[in-house]
Amino acid sequence: MTTWVDTSCIITVFLALIILSNYRVTAMIRIFALQSFVLSLLPFFLHAYSLSGRDIFIVIVTMVLKAALAPSILFWAIRHVSMRSEIKPILGFGSSIILGVILIAGAFWVSSSLKLPGGKPASDLILPCSLSTVLLGFMIMVTRTRAVTQVLGYLILENGIFLFAVSLFDVMPVLIEMGILLDIFVAVFIMAIVVNHINEEFEKDLASVSRSKMGETF
Amino acid sequence: MLSILILMPFLSALGVLLPVSKAFRLKLFLVISLFYGLIVASFWKHLPAGEYHGFIVLDPLGLIMLSIIGFLYLSVSIFMMGYFNHEQRSTRIFMACLMLLLSTMTLASVSYHLGLLWVAIEATTLFSAPLICFHRNQQSLQATWRYLLICSVGIALALMGTFFLAIAAHEVHTLLLPSLLKGASSLSVDWLKLSIIFFVVGYGCKMGLAPTHSWKPEAYGQAPGMVGVIMAGALAQCSFLGLLRISQICNKTGLADFYSSILIVSGLLSLVVPALFILGEKNIKRAFAYSSIEHMGLLVLGLGMGAVGLYGALFHMINNALAKVIMFLTAGSVAQKYGSTRTDEVTGVIHIYPVTGVLLIAAFLAGIGIFPFATFHSELLILNAAIISRHFLLAAVGVSCLAVMFIGIGKIVLGMIHGKPKEPLIAKKENFYMNMAIAMAVVLLAGIGLWMPGALKHLISDAVLLTGAV
Repeated sequence: MTTWVDTSCIITVFLALIILSNYRVTAMIRIFALQSFVLSLLPFFLHAYSLSGRDIFIVIVTMVLKAALAPSILFWAIRHVSMRSEIKPILGFGSSIILGVILIAGAFWVSSSLKLPGGKPASDLILPCSLSTVLLGFMIMVTRTRAVTQVLGYLILENGIFLFAVSLFDVMPVLIEMGILLDIFVAVFIMAIVVNHINEEFEKDLASVSRSKMGETF
Repeated sequence: MLSILILMPFLSALGVLLPVSKAFRLKLFLVISLFYGLIVASFWKHLPAGEYHGFIVLDPLGLIMLSIIGFLYLSVSIFMMGYFNHEQRSTRIFMACLMLLLSTMTLASVSYHLGLLWVAIEATTLFSAPLICFHRNQQSLQATWRYLLICSVGIALALMGTFFLAIAAHEVHTLLLPSLLKGASSLSVDWLKLSIIFFVVGYGCKMGLAPTHSWKPEAYGQAPGMVGVIMAGALAQCSFLGLLRISQICNKTGLADFYSSILIVSGLLSLVVPALFILGEKNIKRAFAYSSIEHMGLLVLGLGMGAVGLYGALFHMINNALAKVIMFLTAGSVAQKYGSTRTDEVTGVIHIYPVTGVLLIAAFLAGIGIFPFATFHSELLILNAAIISRHFLLAAVGVSCLAVMFIGIGKIVLGMIHGKPKEPLIAKKENFYMNMAIAMAVVLLAGIGLWMPGALKHLISDAVLLTGAV
């Protein structure tokens, strides 16, 4: 099953890169949902021959929270905003991708010098790919000006951490695992509410604020 | 007992969400805070047993934190009895979030599993965010957004730190604190170092240490005074508890020097940065936020200075919380009376509101650390520890930064107190509840400064012994 794990890792980084080079918010949310879906299947691939109840539980909870509920909340948050694409990213198309690739290379270089103690992991790609995803998510947060896109960046960062955590599932008790997932979900929920409030505040004085600024984080 | 302490505010948050009257919510809040305070006070006699297979344990460090939280909530609940007389907004979400915050902060104080600690601290971030935008306008939404985003990323880094620690502890195979300490020799040093860096950045972000402090003046400037108290006094120090837990591990694994060098650098930055910004500040709440960054810097510095510094830091945790009650509640009271906290719009407070004026002076003195307030003693202890450990330059920088803070905050506060009285927005009336809540903290802080009770001294010494600092 190592091939499947490897493939999922690579797809995760690839999707993060696609989000980085995308301007349309709805497309970005959909790609994020796809990424979460791929990630939520990872426990199946990792423990394919000794699948336990907790694996199935984690897969289901992750799928529901990350791949279904979080994207739909984000769609809810932007339902009023007529401008659905990124207005003026700090970095353009080309430079975003180039910088993203440099970050991925950096992540692979750093993780080549980190040795996991105690036995070989299921796949050598888990550590570099999770670091790359974290860095790409961070970059999306920094270079985008709209609130929704920043939330997406945060979620991709969390997905990167999740990829890393999947390989260590047996260290954390399942309840705390659930707590972490729930926390992240509530974070998205509250962020979406704040995004919605920000949009409403801007709509109140549309006369004074130009429409293009709607949903931007000041 | 501990699970009651966590569940009680949680359930009452649900009760507050029901459509009940504002007066009922305020009274329920007061009753819960009183009850909470009584339970915590009973823990001073003897510590309760651990629960849930050692995941939830109360130790002296946790007891210090719980006592701080208990007192803060008590004074805030008394203050709110007066504050919400003049406030029209709905208190439903606000009260519920305060209760949930109490519940999660309690969980953070008693959690003995580092994963659980992370879950609790992340939850405190989430439930405190809606409190900041109580007055829902553009500035407060901006502040909330900044707080939410910076702290979420910071906390995400702390989560990575937690996972790195889990890798370092692959032989112990758990993140329960006692097992980690017992198997300290088997921890992988490289991964532990990596996780320490992530922990300091992550929890430091939540504490508001420089250079990740930029959310603090915004959030504290926009939040109502009560929220400032809870955030600066309890929430920030809950994250400090996370750093204290890490120091327990570091002291066992021989990484104490590595850890303290990181702490000293970030503590020094947090002393210098607010001193650079304070002099141009015109808003008293923002000025108090800078003072809070300074105090967090002192705490971290104390933690990096061995046993003497740690004693000072733990003592400073208590004093800082009490000082924050005086500072932010007085600022909140001024903000409600004048509808502003800027020096150019608030003048002559002492002529119109004599009691608030006096309390404002007390807030200034307590925040800076002037005798007889106990903040003076703990700041002295930390600087003393710097000199004992031969960081002379550090002590000098610390003293000069504190002096700059003195000038900066003094200028703002004295400008508000004196000058030509400006007609306030609402009737010239002092509120008994509001002033009593602040006066309680003034008396307590000055009292500890003049005579430190033996029980408190014992508790702090026990806590220092527990961390194993030398």
